[in-house]
Amino acid sequence: MIKNSVALNKLDSKLVMAHMYVAFISLFIGGLMGLLQTLVRSGTLVLPFGISYYQLLTVHGVILALVLTTFFIIGFQFALMSKTVGMSDKQRDSAWFGFWIMLFGTVTTAITILLGKANVLYTFYAPLKAYPTFYIGLALVVVGSWIGCFTNFRQLYVWKKKHPGEKSPLLAFMVVINMLLWFIATLGVAATVIIQLIPWSLGMVDTVNVLVSRTLFWYFGHPLVYFWLLPAYMAWYAIIPKIIGGKIFSDSLARLAFVLFLMFSIPVGFHHQLTEPGIDPVWKFIQVVLTFMVIIPSLLTAFSMFATFEVTGRSKGYTGLFGWLKGLPWKDVRFFAPMVGMITFIPAGTGGIINASNQMNQVVHNTIWVTGHFHLTVGTTVILTFFGISYWLIPSLTGRKLTKKINTLGMIQTIVWAFGMSIMSGSMHIAGLLGAPRRSSYSTYGGSEQATEWIGYQIAQAIGGSILFIGIILMVYIFFYMVFAAPKGQEEFPIAEVSEDAEPTPKFLENWKLWIGITVALILFAYTIPFLDIIHHSPPGSPGFDKIIR
Amino acid sequence: MSKNSSKKKQEEHDLKGTLISVLGIGAFIVISWFIVFALFVAR
Repeated sequence: MIKNSVALNKLDSKLVMAHMYVAFISLFIGGLMGLLQTLVRSGTLVLPFGISYYQLLTVHGVILALVLTTFFIIGFQFALMSKTVGMSDKQRDSAWFGFWIMLFGTVTTAITILLGKANVLYTFYAPLKAYPTFYIGLALVVVGSWIGCFTNFRQLYVWKKKHPGEKSPLLAFMVVINMLLWFIATLGVAATVIIQLIPWSLGMVDTVNVLVSRTLFWYFGHPLVYFWLLPAYMAWYAIIPKIIGGKIFSDSLARLAFVLFLMFSIPVGFHHQLTEPGIDPVWKFIQVVLTFMVIIPSLLTAFSMFATFEVTGRSKGYTGLFGWLKGLPWKDVRFFAPMVGMITFIPAGTGGIINASNQMNQVVHNTIWVTGHFHLTVGTTVILTFFGISYWLIPSLTGRKLTKKINTLGMIQTIVWAFGMSIMSGSMHIAGLLGAPRRSSYSTYGGSEQATEWIGYQIAQAIGGSILFIGIILMVYIFFYMVFAAPKGQEEFPIAEVSEDAEPTPKFLENWKLWIGITVALILFAYTIPFLDIIHHSPPGSPGFDKIIR
Repeated sequence: MSKNSSKKKQEEHDLKGTLISVLGIGAFIVISWFIVFALFVAR
């Protein structure tokens, strides 16, 4: 039985907090870059000192999409593992080792970008070429995260040895699924970085196979979004029910959803390459079908969340078709922030289904609609859930209390974020449907009539972006207040119990060999033939371009 | 788990609101999809 009131031990808290410092400092830097980008794109700001728009864009993407997320997730997952299955001194040492490698890699990459030697954006598409330290730094971040993976695997393995025949704690099961997904997915990006991009960037080879590098990137790039999303789902499934005074609707359903995410989030990268020549359309079709399979666990999650809310509301005596909504703690920021994230996932997920549909992809591909889409998914659903987690995790780690004042400020922060993002992302979606491109600095496109339709939406993006930056300042203030200034006390580490009405969890849900076997089989099925075809029929490799965008 | 106890549980949990909510999400997805599909066809 897990004692909710007891925080983690001091050594584990320190480890998790180290990850959190990096995450929240990244939030501030990345957010500032985002604000500047929207101002440049709307034609209201010209960057001084020869700083390039694409330099800002690369910092923004790398530091928010790769650094903030990875550090927050790995830190949060260490907290969950420490709480549910424990952490030995050796495991903690290896976790620290992974942290320092990731941090060293992050600093190396960041310096390269800030020196203007890596204007390649966060997707680092070849043949755009960065200075070697950009790729070496990223490779170190991935290697550091693998140490985190194997530490988590070891933690659950040791627990299982000590508890033969028992099912693993739900949150530990979820963490291991997410880290398995991460490990399998990052093999692709590690392959392109180490085998292709680093030797090419060092000048050891003259050309790079662009299609192979992009295919390996998207083999990683799509599961990456699930690596961001699954920790949010951990909070939704296993922590939110406790906060609202309820129980987990079904342990089996939660585990099944995670298993389905592991199986179906990887062999789907081609839906990011639907307009890419050189990939057989049959295999694009197959991967689109597999992509649509990922909708199933998301809809399972939607059902499970509504069911948890309804059962909890009704158990408190609320009646009527939607009367149970009144039974939810709307004034508790630990619930409110993730709840706004969940609601946002409805349009966010819908946008994803549109992106992955072959014909609709032609409408939105490389438009700013896509940018609007992932600012809803990772930039709202995931990040608001991470903020919601922070309101209890940070004080519970620092031995402080979530005060009423911070709760209110957190509610305001959530509303500011949702409002700013509605304006920014909404205008990105509309401008995208009107054909406005993404990944582009301010331009009137030679006075083109179509481009004049976009400028109003670009100004709206700057307004939304400015509001969001206020949200970032508020959140960074809240973080440091909870670390250094909040009154001392004990904050609950909320982990929900499973409803007594839930059916017992079948043992096969923890058959790791089966799930990993199916995952690998699906990846081999979806990628082997088209990948061999890509290599066999490749056009000549491309030389690097390191001065094409400044 | 006997059939009777399963049935009893189903009666205990009134999940009509959940049903309507998930149907609403489904409808939102389908309608949004067709709006963009119409845009594709129109172009």
